[in-house]
Amino acid sequence: MNQAEVSKLVSQLKTTVNPRLRKFRNPEGPEGRLDKLRKTVTALIKHERIELNYPRADEARMYAERLISDAIRYGDTHKTTMEMADYWLVEKQLIHKLFKVLAPRFQNYDISYTRLIRAPRPYPGPEDLKAVLELRGNPYPSLRPNGSYNRNLIHNVLLEEAKKAYRAKKYAEIAAKIDAVETAVGLNTNSQTDVPENDEVVAKEVEDKSTKEEK
Amino acid sequence: MLSIFSKRPCIKCFSETSKILLRCSSQTATSTIERNKDQLKRQIVEYRHVYPEFLPDPKIEYRNLIREKLERADMVARRTQVDIPEFYVGSILAVTSSDRHNPEKPHRFVGICIKREYCGLRASFIVRNMIDHQGIEIMYNMYDPTIHKVEVLRLEKRLDDELLYLRDALPEYSTFDSNMDAEILPEGTPVPINPIKVKLKPRPWLERWERKNLKGIEELDLPERFFKRAKELEKPWEKYDLMKEYMRTIPEEEQIEIFSEVQAELHKLEVQRKKMKRKRVIVKPSKLA
Repeated sequence: MNQAEVSKLVSQLKTTVNPRLRKFRNPEGPEGRLDKLRKTVTALIKHERIELNYPRADEARMYAERLISDAIRYGDTHKTTMEMADYWLVEKQLIHKLFKVLAPRFQNYDISYTRLIRAPRPYPGPEDLKAVLELRGNPYPSLRPNGSYNRNLIHNVLLEEAKKAYRAKKYAEIAAKIDAVETAVGLNTNSQTDVPENDEVVAKEVEDKSTKEEK
Repeated sequence: MLSIFSKRPCIKCFSETSKILLRCSSQTATSTIERNKDQLKRQIVEYRHVYPEFLPDPKIEYRNLIREKLERADMVARRTQVDIPEFYVGSILAVTSSDRHNPEKPHRFVGICIKREYCGLRASFIVRNMIDHQGIEIMYNMYDPTIHKVEVLRLEKRLDDELLYLRDALPEYSTFDSNMDAEILPEGTPVPINPIKVKLKPRPWLERWERKNLKGIEELDLPERFFKRAKELEKPWEKYDLMKEYMRTIPEEEQIEIFSEVQAELHKLEVQRKKMKRKRVIVKPSKLA
Protein backbone atom coordinates (compact mmCIF):
# COMPACT_ATOMS: atom_id res chain seq x y z
CA MET A 1 0.00 0.00 0.00
CA ASN A 2 1.87 2.99 -1.21
CA GLN A 3 1.10 6.65 -1.19
CA ALA A 4 -0.65 8.34 -4.08
CA GLU A 5 1.51 10.61 -6.20
CA VAL A 6 0.68 14.24 -5.47
CA SER A 7 2.99 16.19 -7.76
CA LYS A 8 0.45 16.58 -10.56
CA LEU A 9 -3.29 17.18 -10.29
CA VAL A 10 -5.56 15.47 -12.78
CA SER A 11 -9.30 15.71 -13.42
CA GLN A 12 -11.44 12.66 -12.91
CA LEU A 13 -12.25 10.80 -16.11
CA LYS A 14 -15.92 10.49 -16.92
CA THR A 15 -15.56 7.06 -18.48
CA THR A 16 -14.98 3.85 -16.62
CA VAL A 17 -11.26 3.19 -16.24
CA ASN A 18 -10.12 -0.38 -16.75
CA PRO A 19 -8.40 -1.85 -13.68
CA ARG A 20 -5.46 -3.01 -15.82
CA LEU A 21 -3.91 -1.65 -18.98
CA ARG A 22 -3.72 -3.92 -22.03
CA LYS A 23 -0.27 -4.96 -23.15
CA PHE A 24 -0.73 -5.16 -26.96
CA ARG A 25 2.22 -7.47 -27.36
CA ASN A 26 4.68 -5.85 -29.59
CA PRO A 27 8.24 -6.48 -30.80
CA GLU A 28 9.19 -3.01 -29.63
CA GLY A 29 7.87 -3.53 -26.12
CA PRO A 30 5.98 -0.91 -24.14
CA GLU A 31 7.23 1.86 -26.38
CA GLY A 32 5.64 0.14 -29.38
CA ARG A 33 2.40 -0.15 -27.45
CA LEU A 34 2.31 3.61 -26.92
CA ASP A 35 3.19 4.12 -30.59
CA LYS A 36 0.16 2.07 -31.64
CA LEU A 37 -2.14 3.95 -29.31
CA ARG A 38 -0.70 7.25 -30.46
CA LYS A 39 -1.70 6.53 -34.04
CA THR A 40 -5.24 5.69 -32.96
CA VAL A 41 -5.59 8.82 -30.82
CA THR A 42 -4.30 10.98 -33.66
CA ALA A 43 -6.79 9.40 -36.08
CA LEU A 44 -9.63 9.94 -33.60
CA ILE A 45 -8.81 13.62 -33.14
CA LYS A 46 -8.45 14.03 -36.90
CA HIS A 47 -11.52 12.18 -38.22
CA GLU A 48 -13.74 12.38 -35.11
CA ARG A 49 -15.16 8.93 -35.89
CA ILE A 50 -13.16 5.76 -36.58
CA GLU A 51 -13.95 2.06 -36.84
CA LEU A 52 -11.38 -0.35 -35.39
CA ASN A 53 -10.91 -3.44 -33.26
CA TYR A 54 -12.56 -3.25 -29.87
CA PRO A 55 -9.55 -3.67 -27.51
CA ARG A 56 -7.58 -0.94 -29.22
CA ALA A 57 -10.60 1.35 -29.26
CA ASP A 58 -11.27 0.78 -25.56
CA GLU A 59 -7.64 1.50 -24.67
CA ALA A 60 -7.24 4.50 -26.95
CA ARG A 61 -10.45 5.97 -25.60
CA MET A 62 -8.97 6.41 -22.12
CA TYR A 63 -5.86 8.08 -23.52
CA ALA A 64 -7.92 10.44 -25.69
CA GLU A 65 -10.07 11.37 -22.70
CA ARG A 66 -6.98 12.10 -20.61
CA LEU A 67 -5.46 14.23 -23.34
CA ILE A 68 -8.61 16.32 -23.78
CA SER A 69 -9.21 16.70 -20.04
CA ASP A 70 -5.63 17.92 -19.55
CA ALA A 71 -6.03 20.34 -22.47
CA ILE A 72 -9.18 21.74 -20.83
CA ARG A 73 -7.64 21.86 -17.38
CA TYR A 74 -4.24 23.40 -18.07
CA GLY A 75 -4.67 25.08 -21.48
CA ASP A 76 -2.01 25.63 -24.13
CA THR A 77 0.31 27.70 -21.91
CA HIS A 78 1.18 24.74 -19.68
CA LYS A 79 4.50 23.21 -20.69
CA THR A 80 3.96 19.55 -19.79
CA THR A 81 0.49 19.51 -21.35
CA MET A 82 1.96 20.90 -24.56
CA GLU A 83 4.66 18.21 -24.51
CA MET A 84 1.96 15.56 -24.08
CA ALA A 85 -0.03 16.96 -27.00
CA ASP A 86 3.15 17.02 -29.07
CA TYR A 87 3.79 13.36 -28.27
CA TRP A 88 0.26 12.06 -28.64
CA LEU A 89 -0.68 13.88 -31.84
CA VAL A 90 1.54 12.65 -34.64
CA GLU A 91 0.17 15.23 -37.10
CA LYS A 92 1.17 18.52 -35.59
CA GLN A 93 -1.63 20.65 -37.03
CA LEU A 94 -3.98 18.68 -34.77
CA ILE A 95 -2.42 20.31 -31.69
CA HIS A 96 -4.20 23.51 -32.75
CA LYS A 97 -7.43 21.57 -33.14
CA LEU A 98 -7.07 20.09 -29.65
CA PHE A 99 -6.60 23.41 -27.89
CA LYS A 100 -8.72 25.69 -30.08
CA VAL A 101 -11.61 23.46 -31.17
CA LEU A 102 -11.98 20.48 -28.86
CA ALA A 103 -11.12 22.13 -25.53
CA PRO A 104 -13.77 24.87 -25.96
CA ARG A 105 -16.27 22.31 -27.28
CA PHE A 106 -15.96 20.04 -24.24
CA GLN A 107 -15.44 22.78 -21.64
CA ASN A 108 -18.84 22.41 -19.99
CA TYR A 109 -19.41 18.71 -20.60
CA ASP A 110 -20.51 16.65 -17.60
CA ILE A 111 -20.28 13.43 -19.60
CA SER A 112 -17.43 11.72 -21.42
CA TYR A 113 -15.92 13.41 -24.45
CA THR A 114 -15.91 10.24 -26.54
CA ARG A 115 -18.43 7.54 -27.37
CA LEU A 116 -17.60 3.87 -27.90
CA ILE A 117 -20.11 1.76 -29.79
CA ARG A 118 -19.74 -1.92 -30.55
CA ALA A 119 -19.91 -2.58 -34.29
CA PRO A 120 -20.84 -5.78 -36.14
CA ARG A 121 -17.96 -7.89 -37.41
CA PRO A 122 -17.78 -8.81 -41.11
CA TYR A 123 -19.07 -12.31 -41.83
CA PRO A 124 -17.42 -14.44 -43.04
CA GLY A 125 -14.13 -12.92 -41.99
CA PRO A 126 -11.81 -12.36 -39.04
CA GLU A 127 -13.50 -12.88 -35.69
CA ASP A 128 -12.12 -9.77 -33.99
CA LEU A 129 -14.63 -7.66 -32.14
CA LYS A 130 -15.20 -4.34 -33.84
CA ALA A 131 -16.07 -0.96 -32.42
CA VAL A 132 -16.72 2.58 -33.51
CA LEU A 133 -14.98 5.28 -31.50
CA GLU A 134 -16.12 8.86 -31.96
CA LEU A 135 -15.83 12.28 -30.37
CA ARG A 136 -19.06 13.71 -29.06
CA GLY A 137 -20.44 16.68 -30.94
CA ASN A 138 -19.08 15.46 -34.29
CA PRO A 139 -20.78 16.60 -37.53
CA TYR A 140 -21.76 13.11 -38.75
CA PRO A 141 -25.27 11.64 -38.53
CA SER A 142 -25.95 9.64 -35.39
CA LEU A 143 -25.13 5.93 -35.34
CA ARG A 144 -27.80 5.12 -32.79
CA PRO A 145 -31.44 4.59 -33.92
CA ASN A 146 -33.82 7.36 -32.92
CA GLY A 147 -35.34 6.07 -29.73
CA SER A 148 -37.78 8.94 -29.24
CA TYR A 149 -40.72 7.14 -30.97
CA ASN A 150 -41.74 3.56 -30.33
CA ARG A 151 -45.16 2.48 -31.56
CA ASN A 152 -45.32 -0.44 -29.16
CA LEU A 153 -45.33 1.78 -26.08
CA ILE A 154 -48.74 1.67 -24.41
CA HIS A 155 -49.50 5.38 -24.73
CA ASN A 156 -48.63 5.27 -28.44
CA VAL A 157 -50.93 2.24 -28.95
CA LEU A 158 -53.76 4.04 -27.19
CA LEU A 159 -53.22 7.23 -29.19
CA GLU A 160 -53.25 5.25 -32.42
CA GLU A 161 -56.56 3.63 -31.46
CA ALA A 162 -58.04 6.98 -30.50
CA LYS A 163 -57.03 8.40 -33.89
CA LYS A 164 -58.67 5.47 -35.67
CA ALA A 165 -61.91 5.92 -33.72
CA TYR A 166 -61.93 9.67 -34.46
CA ARG A 167 -61.40 9.03 -38.17
CA ALA A 168 -64.20 6.44 -38.30
CA LYS A 169 -66.55 8.88 -36.61
CA LYS A 170 -65.71 11.64 -39.09
CA TYR A 171 -66.19 9.32 -42.10
CA ALA A 172 -69.59 8.31 -40.76
CA GLU A 173 -70.60 11.99 -40.45
CA ILE A 174 -69.49 12.76 -44.01
CA ALA A 175 -71.32 9.72 -45.38
CA ALA A 176 -74.46 10.86 -43.58
CA LYS A 177 -74.08 14.31 -45.15
CA ILE A 178 -73.70 12.87 -48.66
CA ASP A 179 -76.75 10.71 -48.13
CA ALA A 180 -78.74 13.74 -47.05
CA VAL A 181 -77.68 15.67 -50.17
CA GLU A 182 -78.54 12.77 -52.46
CA THR A 183 -81.99 12.40 -51.00
CA ALA A 184 -82.50 16.14 -51.43
CA VAL A 185 -81.47 15.81 -55.10
CA GLY A 186 -83.89 12.95 -55.62
CA LEU A 187 -86.72 15.13 -54.32
CA ASN A 188 -85.69 18.31 -56.14
CA THR A 189 -85.43 17.40 -59.85
CA ASN A 190 -85.62 21.04 -60.97
CA SER A 191 -82.34 22.20 -59.46
CA GLN A 192 -80.06 19.70 -61.26
CA THR A 193 -77.40 22.28 -62.08
CA ASP A 194 -76.40 22.69 -58.39
CA VAL A 195 -75.89 19.00 -57.65
CA PRO A 196 -72.45 18.35 -59.25
CA GLU A 197 -71.03 21.49 -57.59
CA ASN A 198 -72.25 20.25 -54.19
CA ASP A 199 -70.74 16.85 -54.80
CA GLU A 200 -67.39 18.36 -55.69
CA VAL A 201 -67.41 20.46 -52.53
CA VAL A 202 -68.16 17.44 -50.37
CA ALA A 203 -65.43 15.41 -52.07
CA LYS A 204 -62.94 18.24 -51.47
CA GLU A 205 -63.97 18.44 -47.82
CA VAL A 206 -63.40 14.72 -47.39
CA GLU A 207 -59.94 14.95 -48.95
CA ASP A 208 -58.95 17.91 -46.78
CA LYS A 209 -60.05 16.24 -43.58
CA SER A 210 -58.34 12.98 -44.35
CA THR A 211 -55.05 14.72 -45.19
CA LYS A 212 -55.25 16.81 -42.00
CA GLU A 213 -55.82 13.77 -39.87
CA GLU A 214 -52.98 11.96 -41.47
CA LYS A 215 -50.72 14.85 -40.70
CA MET B 1 -56.93 60.56 -10.84
CA LEU B 2 -54.10 62.68 -12.15
CA SER B 3 -52.02 62.14 -9.09
CA ILE B 4 -52.42 58.40 -9.37
CA PHE B 5 -51.34 58.46 -13.02
CA SER B 6 -48.38 60.60 -12.18
CA LYS B 7 -47.35 58.24 -9.40
CA ARG B 8 -47.57 55.06 -11.43
CA PRO B 9 -44.55 55.53 -13.64
CA CYS B 10 -42.53 56.52 -10.59
CA ILE B 11 -43.43 53.28 -8.87
CA LYS B 12 -42.56 51.37 -12.01
CA CYS B 13 -39.25 53.14 -12.26
CA PHE B 14 -38.49 52.38 -8.67
CA SER B 15 -39.44 48.76 -9.02
CA GLU B 16 -37.29 48.38 -12.12
CA THR B 17 -34.28 50.03 -10.55
CA SER B 18 -34.74 47.97 -7.42
CA LYS B 19 -34.90 44.85 -9.56
CA ILE B 20 -31.67 45.81 -11.30
CA LEU B 21 -30.08 46.59 -7.96
CA LEU B 22 -31.24 43.28 -6.58
CA ARG B 23 -29.89 41.51 -9.63
CA CYS B 24 -26.57 43.32 -9.27
CA SER B 25 -26.32 42.52 -5.60
CA SER B 26 -27.21 38.90 -6.22
CA GLN B 27 -24.58 38.75 -8.97
CA THR B 28 -21.90 40.21 -6.72
CA ALA B 29 -22.97 37.88 -3.91
CA THR B 30 -22.79 34.83 -6.16
CA SER B 31 -19.41 35.94 -7.53
CA THR B 32 -17.99 36.41 -4.02
CA ILE B 33 -19.38 33.02 -2.98
CA GLU B 34 -17.81 31.44 -6.05
CA ARG B 35 -14.50 33.16 -5.32
CA ASN B 36 -14.62 31.90 -1.73
CA LYS B 37 -15.41 28.41 -2.98
CA ASP B 38 -12.46 28.54 -5.38
CA GLN B 39 -10.17 29.69 -2.60
CA LEU B 40 -11.39 26.92 -0.31
CA LYS B 41 -10.90 24.43 -3.12
CA ARG B 42 -7.33 25.59 -3.67
CA GLN B 43 -6.63 25.41 0.07
CA ILE B 44 -8.05 21.90 0.28
CA VAL B 45 -6.09 20.75 -2.74
CA GLU B 46 -2.87 22.04 -1.11
CA TYR B 47 -3.49 19.62 1.78
CA ARG B 48 -2.23 16.80 -0.41
CA HIS B 49 1.37 17.88 0.20
CA VAL B 50 0.99 18.27 3.96
CA TYR B 51 -1.12 15.18 4.65
CA PRO B 52 -0.30 12.72 1.85
CA GLU B 53 -1.24 9.74 4.01
CA PHE B 54 -4.90 10.82 4.02
CA LEU B 55 -5.10 9.94 0.32
CA PRO B 56 -5.71 6.24 -0.28
CA ASP B 57 -3.53 3.97 -2.37
CA PRO B 58 -4.78 4.49 -5.93
CA LYS B 59 -4.31 0.82 -6.81
CA ILE B 60 -7.83 -0.32 -7.60
CA GLU B 61 -7.59 -3.70 -5.87
CA TYR B 62 -6.68 -2.06 -2.55
CA ARG B 63 -9.52 0.45 -2.60
CA ASN B 64 -12.27 0.12 -0.04
CA LEU B 65 -14.22 3.30 0.57
CA ILE B 66 -15.61 2.31 3.97
CA ARG B 67 -12.26 1.21 5.36
CA GLU B 68 -10.65 4.40 4.06
CA LYS B 69 -13.29 6.52 5.74
CA LEU B 70 -12.94 4.70 9.05
CA GLU B 71 -9.16 4.98 8.90
CA ARG B 72 -9.39 8.71 8.26
CA ALA B 73 -11.61 9.14 11.30
CA ASP B 74 -9.11 7.17 13.40
CA MET B 75 -6.22 9.23 12.09
CA VAL B 76 -7.93 12.48 13.00
CA ALA B 77 -8.75 11.08 16.43
CA ARG B 78 -5.09 10.16 16.96
CA ARG B 79 -3.97 13.59 15.79
CA THR B 80 -6.11 15.23 18.47
CA GLN B 81 -4.11 13.26 21.08
CA VAL B 82 -0.60 13.65 19.64
CA ASP B 83 0.62 16.67 17.77
CA ILE B 84 1.99 15.42 14.42
CA PRO B 85 3.27 18.53 12.65
CA GLU B 86 3.82 19.15 8.96
CA PHE B 87 7.09 17.62 7.77
CA TYR B 88 8.66 16.38 4.56
CA VAL B 89 11.37 14.06 3.40
CA GLY B 90 14.56 15.97 4.26
CA SER B 91 13.18 17.62 7.41
CA ILE B 92 14.99 17.03 10.68
CA LEU B 93 12.77 15.45 13.31
CA ALA B 94 12.93 14.56 16.96
CA VAL B 95 10.62 11.68 17.79
CA THR B 96 9.86 10.79 21.40
CA SER B 97 8.40 7.35 21.90
CA SER B 98 8.10 4.89 24.73
CA ASP B 99 10.29 1.81 24.66
CA ARG B 100 8.77 -1.46 25.84
CA HIS B 101 12.12 -2.59 27.20
CA ASN B 102 12.46 0.54 29.30
CA PRO B 103 8.92 1.66 30.14
CA GLU B 104 9.88 4.46 32.57
CA LYS B 105 12.03 6.43 30.21
CA PRO B 106 10.74 7.75 26.89
CA HIS B 107 13.25 7.51 24.06
CA ARG B 108 14.05 10.58 21.97
CA PHE B 109 15.63 10.12 18.58
CA VAL B 110 16.81 12.99 16.36
CA GLY B 111 17.50 12.53 12.68
CA ILE B 112 16.63 13.31 9.11
CA CYS B 113 13.48 11.89 7.56
CA ILE B 114 14.63 9.89 4.55
CA LYS B 115 11.39 8.28 3.46
CA ARG B 116 7.64 8.53 3.92
CA GLU B 117 5.59 5.62 2.78
CA TYR B 118 2.22 3.89 2.93
CA CYS B 119 -1.11 5.52 3.56
CA GLY B 120 -3.92 5.46 6.06
CA LEU B 121 -3.19 4.11 9.52
CA ARG B 122 -0.19 2.20 8.14
CA ALA B 123 1.62 5.45 7.26
CA SER B 124 5.24 5.40 8.37
CA PHE B 125 8.44 7.38 8.07
CA ILE B 126 12.12 6.52 8.46
CA VAL B 127 14.43 8.74 10.53
CA ARG B 128 18.19 8.42 10.08
CA ASN B 129 21.16 9.66 12.12
CA MET B 130 24.79 8.73 12.81
CA ILE B 131 25.37 7.71 16.42
CA ASP B 132 28.89 6.69 17.53
CA HIS B 133 29.97 6.44 13.86
CA GLN B 134 27.20 3.98 13.25
CA GLY B 135 24.30 4.75 10.95
CA ILE B 136 21.02 4.29 12.81
CA GLU B 137 17.62 4.28 11.19
CA ILE B 138 14.31 3.94 12.98
CA MET B 139 11.06 3.39 11.17
CA TYR B 140 8.14 4.91 13.05
CA ASN B 141 4.51 4.22 12.34
CA MET B 142 2.96 7.66 12.28
CA TYR B 143 -0.19 6.67 14.17
CA ASP B 144 1.53 4.35 16.61
CA PRO B 145 0.15 4.91 20.14
CA THR B 146 3.66 4.57 21.64
CA ILE B 147 4.73 7.82 19.98
CA HIS B 148 4.59 10.67 22.51
CA LYS B 149 5.75 13.59 20.48
CA VAL B 150 7.03 14.49 17.03
CA GLU B 151 9.00 17.75 16.84
CA VAL B 152 10.23 19.32 13.65
CA LEU B 153 13.65 20.83 14.34
CA ARG B 154 14.24 22.06 10.82
CA LEU B 155 11.45 22.20 8.27
CA GLU B 156 12.80 21.82 4.74
CA LYS B 157 12.66 19.70 1.62
CA ARG B 158 15.44 18.17 -0.44
CA LEU B 159 15.72 17.81 -4.20
CA ASP B 160 14.55 14.18 -4.18
CA ASP B 161 11.45 12.41 -2.94
CA GLU B 162 13.48 9.75 -1.13
CA LEU B 163 16.88 10.12 0.52
CA LEU B 164 17.77 6.43 0.74
CA TYR B 165 21.10 7.26 -0.89
CA LEU B 166 22.22 8.77 2.43
CA ARG B 167 22.97 5.17 3.43
CA ASP B 168 25.77 5.13 0.88
CA ALA B 169 26.81 8.74 1.39
CA LEU B 170 29.65 10.05 3.49
CA PRO B 171 28.72 10.03 7.19
CA GLU B 172 28.77 13.81 7.62
CA TYR B 173 25.63 14.12 5.47
CA SER B 174 23.53 12.11 7.92
CA THR B 175 25.03 13.32 11.19
CA PHE B 176 22.82 15.57 13.28
CA ASP B 177 23.30 16.86 16.78
CA SER B 178 20.77 15.26 19.12
CA ASN B 179 20.66 18.40 21.28
CA MET B 180 19.72 20.56 18.34
CA ASP B 181 17.32 23.46 18.89
CA ALA B 182 14.22 23.86 16.77
CA GLU B 183 14.53 26.49 14.05
CA ILE B 184 11.35 28.54 13.79
CA LEU B 185 10.34 29.74 10.34
CA PRO B 186 8.44 33.03 10.07
CA GLU B 187 4.72 32.48 9.51
CA GLY B 188 3.50 32.23 5.92
CA THR B 189 6.86 31.45 4.31
CA PRO B 190 6.93 28.58 1.81
CA VAL B 191 8.83 25.47 2.85
CA PRO B 192 12.49 26.03 1.84
CA ILE B 193 14.17 23.52 -0.46
CA ASN B 194 17.71 22.60 0.52
CA PRO B 195 19.75 22.34 -2.72
CA ILE B 196 22.59 20.40 -1.07
CA LYS B 197 24.36 17.81 -3.24
CA VAL B 198 25.52 14.75 -1.35
CA LYS B 199 28.82 12.99 -2.02
CA LEU B 200 28.56 9.21 -2.16
CA LYS B 201 31.13 6.76 -0.87
CA PRO B 202 32.89 4.62 -3.49
CA ARG B 203 31.17 1.41 -4.55
CA PRO B 204 29.93 -1.19 -3.44
CA TRP B 205 26.54 0.37 -2.77
CA LEU B 206 23.19 -0.90 -1.56
CA GLU B 207 21.51 0.15 -4.81
CA ARG B 208 22.58 1.24 -8.28
CA TRP B 209 22.20 4.96 -7.70
CA GLU B 210 23.43 5.90 -11.16
CA ARG B 211 20.23 4.43 -12.59
CA LYS B 212 17.83 6.36 -10.35
CA ASN B 213 18.10 9.79 -11.96
CA LEU B 214 18.77 11.52 -8.63
CA LYS B 215 19.16 15.27 -8.34
CA GLY B 216 20.61 15.48 -4.84
CA ILE B 217 23.92 13.67 -5.42
CA GLU B 218 27.24 14.94 -6.76
CA GLU B 219 28.55 13.61 -10.05
CA LEU B 220 29.48 9.96 -9.69
CA ASP B 221 32.99 8.75 -10.25
CA LEU B 222 32.23 5.56 -12.18
CA PRO B 223 33.58 3.85 -15.31
CA GLU B 224 31.77 4.70 -18.54
CA ARG B 225 30.06 1.29 -18.84
CA PHE B 226 27.84 2.03 -15.81
CA PHE B 227 26.35 5.11 -17.42
CA LYS B 228 26.00 3.27 -20.72
CA ARG B 229 23.99 0.54 -19.05
CA ALA B 230 21.91 3.09 -17.15
CA LYS B 231 21.13 4.77 -20.46
CA GLU B 232 20.05 1.44 -21.95
CA LEU B 233 17.67 0.76 -19.08
CA GLU B 234 16.05 4.19 -19.17
CA LYS B 235 12.36 4.30 -20.02
CA PRO B 236 11.89 7.77 -21.52
CA TRP B 237 8.45 6.91 -22.92
CA GLU B 238 6.99 6.20 -19.51
CA LYS B 239 6.39 9.87 -18.73
CA TYR B 240 4.06 10.06 -21.75
CA ASP B 241 1.87 7.22 -20.55
CA LEU B 242 -1.11 9.31 -19.49
CA MET B 243 -3.08 6.41 -18.06
CA LYS B 244 -0.22 5.12 -15.91
CA GLU B 245 0.13 8.62 -14.53
CA TYR B 246 -3.62 8.70 -13.88
CA MET B 247 -3.53 5.34 -12.11
CA ARG B 248 -0.74 6.52 -9.80
CA THR B 249 -2.71 9.52 -8.53
CA ILE B 250 -6.06 10.29 -6.97
CA PRO B 251 -8.08 12.68 -9.19
CA GLU B 252 -8.75 16.17 -7.90
CA GLU B 253 -12.50 15.67 -7.42
CA GLU B 254 -11.86 12.71 -5.15
CA GLN B 255 -9.14 14.54 -3.23
CA ILE B 256 -11.49 17.42 -2.53
CA GLU B 257 -14.12 14.99 -1.30
CA ILE B 258 -11.63 13.29 1.01
CA PHE B 259 -10.07 16.43 2.44
CA SER B 260 -13.30 18.38 2.84
CA GLU B 261 -14.42 15.54 5.11
CA VAL B 262 -11.50 16.04 7.54
CA GLN B 263 -10.71 19.69 6.78
CA ALA B 264 -12.58 21.17 9.75
CA GLU B 265 -10.75 18.98 12.26
CA LEU B 266 -7.34 19.44 10.66
CA HIS B 267 -7.83 23.20 10.53
CA LYS B 268 -8.71 23.26 14.22
CA LEU B 269 -5.55 21.32 15.05
CA GLU B 270 -3.46 23.71 12.95
CA VAL B 271 -4.88 26.74 14.76
CA GLN B 272 -4.15 25.09 18.10
CA ARG B 273 -0.55 24.40 17.05
CA LYS B 274 -0.07 28.02 15.97
CA LYS B 275 -1.28 29.21 19.37
CA MET B 276 1.19 26.88 21.12
CA LYS B 277 4.02 28.17 18.91
CA ARG B 278 3.26 31.78 19.84
CA LYS B 279 3.24 30.86 23.51
CA ARG B 280 6.65 29.24 23.19
CA VAL B 281 8.03 32.37 21.48
CA ILE B 282 6.87 34.55 24.37
CA VAL B 283 8.18 32.19 27.03
CA LYS B 284 11.73 31.95 25.68
CA PRO B 285 13.16 35.36 26.68
CA SER B 286 11.82 35.07 30.25
CA LYS B 287 13.75 31.79 30.58
CA LEU B 288 16.93 33.45 29.34
CA ALA B 289 16.52 36.27 31.84
